Amino acid sequence: MSVRARPEIAVMERDCALPRKSGELVFHDDWERRAFAIAVTLCEQGRYDWEQFRQHLIAEIAASASAGGDPAAPDPHAPGYYEHWLAALEKVLAESGILPAANS
Amino acid sequence: MSEHHHHHDAPPSPYLEKRRSGVETAELEARVKKMESLLVDRGLVTTAALDRMVEIYEHDLGPLNGARVVARAWSDPAYKARLLDDATAAIAELGMSGLQGEHMVVVENTPQVHNVVVCTLCSCYPWPVLGLPPSWYKDAPYRSRVVIDPRSVLAEFGTELGPEVEVRVWDSSAEIRYLVLPERPPGSEGLDEEALAALVTRDAMIGVTRLPALGATP
Repeated sequence: MSVRARPEIAVMERDCALPRKSGELVFHDDWERRAFAIAVTLCEQGRYDWEQFRQHLIAEIAASASAGGDPAAPDPHAPGYYEHWLAALEKVLAESGILPAANS
Repeated sequence: MSEHHHHHDAPPSPYLEKRRSGVETAELEARVKKMESLLVDRGLVTTAALDRMVEIYEHDLGPLNGARVVARAWSDPAYKARLLDDATAAIAELGMSGLQGEHMVVVENTPQVHNVVVCTLCSCYPWPVLGLPPSWYKDAPYRSRVVIDPRSVLAEFGTELGPEVEVRVWDSSAEIRYLVLPERPPGSEGLDEEALAALVTRDAMIGVTRLPALGATP
């Protein structure tokens, strides 16, 4: 199996760029890794376009920034990248009819 | 592609400072677990397939960064000039994160000069652009032999260089990380940057291989 990382995922820029340290992906907790894998795997299966997910991710990040987050001095206790990722994933799964809308 | 160009240094990701309480983490764990088990129940994913996907991305993302840099340099002569002049700044221009504290130097392959990168002391490597180093890069035989006899080592990678080609070996250090700009493969004229980036391999950016002409069977 010679699946390669999709360029459109690897090269997401600015606010929605994947968190990395020295070029490598960083996950703080295992759930982040799982949420990453679910989003990418279902996209690989063609269940939605990456752009559809990315637009949700951008919207989640923007909503959090307009709620008072200061990008220059981020609050380490505010929801971070993968919280936004997870919220975007829940929306795209609901929108694509893959899972019912999360009610948590 | 990118909305603004005012960053010339990759900003440190706020994510790296992220802290969560145990309660928050437990809630998030539960939310993702529920999602995963619903998807597994519906036969859409398997846990093993998810693990495999993470592995692919953890290994693959770095090299793609370097490939983008190379593709841009091939497509845009002004970018190439900036890259050869100040690679650290030119790479940061593309919005890549994780470049803090590493000085990058890009060396260009030409029909007359072939460059190859090593770290004789340890395993210094341009992580931000190439991701995980291949295991042979850290092996003592590669590290010592490529300096003494680069042509034989390159030949073992299938890279046969004529006597007219000068071989330059670049020894990386904690301060300077080298990246090889491979020659643009013949037959790639007219390809856009994304298609070009897909041609670039990690080994070519270390300099142990050259990129084959398009349409050629390797």
